[in-house]
Amino acid sequence: MSDRGLAWLLLSPALLVLATLTVYPALWVLWLAFQYRIPVFGISRWAGLDHFAFLAEGTRFWNAAWVTGVFTVTSVALESALGLAIAVALRGQRGGRRTALALLLLAWALPSVVTAKMFEWLYHPAGGLVNFLLGDRAINWLGDPALALPSLILADVWRATPFVALLCYARLLTIPPDLYEAAEVDGAAGLQAFARITWPLVRPILLVTMLFRTLDAIRAFDIMFVLTGGGPAGSTESLTVYAYRALFQTLQIGLGSAIGVVVFALVMVVAAVYLRLIGRPERTA
Amino acid sequence: MRAGRRRDAVVLLALSLYAAPFFWQALTSVRPDAELLPLTRLLPSRLTWVHYDVVLRQSLMPRALINSLGIALLSTLLAIGLGALAAYALARLPVRGRGVILLAMVAATAFPQIATVSPLYLLMRALGLRDTWLALILANGSFALPLVIWLLTGFIREIPRALEEAAAVDGADRLAILRWVVLPLVAPGMASAALLAFLFSWNEFLFAYSFTATEASRTVPVALALFPGVFEVPWGDIAAASLLASLPPILIVVGFQRYLVRGLLAGALRE
Amino acid sequence: MAPRPARAAAAGLFLPLLLALSAGGCGERPGAGAPITLVFKHAKILGPADPMPGLLRRFEADHPGVRVQSEALTWSSDEQHQFYVINLEGGGPPFDVMMLDVIWVPEFARAGWILDLTSSVPPAERDAHFPTAIAPAMQDGRLWALPWFMNVGLLYYRADLLAKYGFGAPPETYEELIAQVRRIRAGERDPSLDGYLWQGKQYEGGMVNVLEALWANGARLLDEAGRPFPEAERARESLAFLRGLIESGVSPAWVTAADEELTRRPFGDGRAIFLRSWPYALDLFELPDSRVRGKVGVAPIPRLRHGPVGAASTGGAHLAVSARTRHRDLAVALARFLTSETAQRAMTEGAALRPSRPALYRDAGLIARDPSLPALHGLMLRGHPRPITPYYLMLSTTLQPEFSAVLVGRKSPARAMRDATAQVEHLLRSVTP
Repeated sequence: MSDRGLAWLLLSPALLVLATLTVYPALWVLWLAFQYRIPVFGISRWAGLDHFAFLAEGTRFWNAAWVTGVFTVTSVALESALGLAIAVALRGQRGGRRTALALLLLAWALPSVVTAKMFEWLYHPAGGLVNFLLGDRAINWLGDPALALPSLILADVWRATPFVALLCYARLLTIPPDLYEAAEVDGAAGLQAFARITWPLVRPILLVTMLFRTLDAIRAFDIMFVLTGGGPAGSTESLTVYAYRALFQTLQIGLGSAIGVVVFALVMVVAAVYLRLIGRPERTA
Repeated sequence: MRAGRRRDAVVLLALSLYAAPFFWQALTSVRPDAELLPLTRLLPSRLTWVHYDVVLRQSLMPRALINSLGIALLSTLLAIGLGALAAYALARLPVRGRGVILLAMVAATAFPQIATVSPLYLLMRALGLRDTWLALILANGSFALPLVIWLLTGFIREIPRALEEAAAVDGADRLAILRWVVLPLVAPGMASAALLAFLFSWNEFLFAYSFTATEASRTVPVALALFPGVFEVPWGDIAAASLLASLPPILIVVGFQRYLVRGLLAGALRE
Repeated sequence: MAPRPARAAAAGLFLPLLLALSAGGCGERPGAGAPITLVFKHAKILGPADPMPGLLRRFEADHPGVRVQSEALTWSSDEQHQFYVINLEGGGPPFDVMMLDVIWVPEFARAGWILDLTSSVPPAERDAHFPTAIAPAMQDGRLWALPWFMNVGLLYYRADLLAKYGFGAPPETYEELIAQVRRIRAGERDPSLDGYLWQGKQYEGGMVNVLEALWANGARLLDEAGRPFPEAERARESLAFLRGLIESGVSPAWVTAADEELTRRPFGDGRAIFLRSWPYALDLFELPDSRVRGKVGVAPIPRLRHGPVGAASTGGAHLAVSARTRHRDLAVALARFLTSETAQRAMTEGAALRPSRPALYRDAGLIARDPSLPALHGLMLRGHPRPITPYYLMLSTTLQPEFSAVLVGRKSPARAMRDATAQVEHLLRSVTP
């Protein structure tokens, strides 16, 4: 068999699976977004742009977009800063590296539902560790509309920072120590060494991880759904939670798909923007 | 040297504090009910195994654990099996439109699950696969496939061509080269990709929540999210169930750390 | 007329015979092989004793060769609904008899998931239930489910505290309620004594509370054509009133995250003066070790300016037969047995449930155990069912976040009503071609 023939033979199973379960649904959801589709009552007819018009005029949609935006920007910023700090702290680690990484990666590896339940318990007004450590004040972290989103962001930052930290740490390990020693000789140490040596070299990888984290944060669902369910009063209802509720609580497949398409478009736009920023000929040194 | 060791210890302590939420949950799982609400003391007066007993004997977690294990293993198998073959083709064989396909793979990893869940739900419903293992194996496997292909293509490319050329000179055909030269060498990479795929499937919630309805196919995250409580929420039992749900991830992080890290780095450092 | 025990036994013997004789019937012969298993899905029954096992064994005894397998649903009503929808819509394993929240019956009927029971239930049996229980189970003039137990919203009050401060009767208007709360709290000087507890969490129970506030002011949620808030100004007043309860401290802020159990417990521990809840709580308050035993009274829901007293929401569960059951007659028999007078009496005695049959409210034996029954009878008759439409759940889940936003103070009532109207209109556009 020719090489070309073999290539297609080896590729086709994977492409078939992807075509059926990834590409086809991606196109189908676009189609559904233009339909009134409620399987429970057998409703299936053309809606045109009605769903999108409704979303654009509706406060619930813009509230969800706002929540998604605040959640994404804040989480990514915190994760990046904290992750980098942890990476720098780890960089000088000599002994116990495996243990250190294990402790760090644990947070990332846990199922998000486990993390959600964990933080729900930590934030519990009466039985939670947080209130206990703060001195028994009955703060309702997840029930107060002003506090719920920050609490949620904190939980997600805890979960995702290790990913950023790991990647930055790996990059830092490739920086030869001679560079730092030479800088010390030149009289630049600590913060200056960081600014002149570390930062330029770690910046590209940080951008890459920020891209991943941004895309993940926009798509985030599990923690939000299980920890707060979008409440209280929609203060933590992101676009994904709004879409899920439309889809499975009311089985409005058309409306839910429309919101899903918006998330889809958002993710693609953000990815494109980031890739242009990263894809410039600025290879990792 | 001593300063270095002290510094190491400080960092380890700090990271232990970072993982404290998990340790707290572990402590909660052995704390007696009476001391859960309200919380009056940090350490429990005694340890109890009653929560684990309830979870293992009276809840749906054991069945969910089996479901999760089976589905995760099989979807990983699916992703690695199809992915390895496809990756070899993309890495070593002439494929017209290779660049486009690889770009499509990258794009596919960014697909939001919330967008594809509704058509997949309708598809599973039409195929009668609701509440079956197969639905989740297909959904999880196909969702992990792009990443697996992307990773493995990179790993295969790292293998020196000389080895394959030498085998070709010896008279081996493409498939034999794949089987005897490439696969053994890319095995560590495959392990990394497999671990990531397994973790994804084990932790996956959205598809599982939407496609399952009974304990026939309910996975661990769904069982945990829907943990029943008649009057009040049974925090101790939930903590015990959470610990059980975390066993494979813990095992992977502690036991297979090297492969996991390699997989994560490869995924991010490849452009 | 509800069958007397002897008649039930006779029917029980007759039925298998009938099945055995029917040719090509929709059932297997009980005696000819494996036992028939009927799957009965229901939520856990709250209360001192669980009457279900006894009742099911009795049905099995009356129908030899038939086993009833009881399967529990999750606790939350919203989750139960999601379970049913995903299963019934997606073709999951069939069950035979299912317990449905009364608000789902029109939806399930329209979706074709449950059997039309009109021809299987004689009119006399239908009339033996409260009209307010039968009406929500009717769709297009046909009967789709049988009432199993019934609920109505009540105002619980601490009779001892009211008496102590010279209030002879429970409040008829909310103004009186607020005044009583203020007076009692000023006198008791107990910072942990709450005024009025109700369910304000974002879920169906919260919706019930909002609806009662609307009805208490003479406002409706929808008009006959399905347009929202026909009496807009009164609706706005009701919503502002609810938010005002929290802002003025008459109700603690945490009611916005509270469901039935979270409000029952503090009242049961003696830490609240008034509670709006369902009848089940009364049984728990009268348990021997209850701190408020003998101190609790029940009264109709008070009114606001423009509405009537006692505009409470009715609720409860109905039993329906799955359209995909393979044992149609047996399943219908099970549903009719469990909603019969004998079964409902057993449930009232053993569990904290109230029957849907007026006759049982005049039963001397039951009244001896629970003296509140005659009062409840009147309340059941005056109660309002929630809007009877197949789209009720969709409406409710769409409106809940809007109302919740008012209760926590995130939106003004007017703004929430505007947003709610837009969403309801979009929804109705989807379902009406």
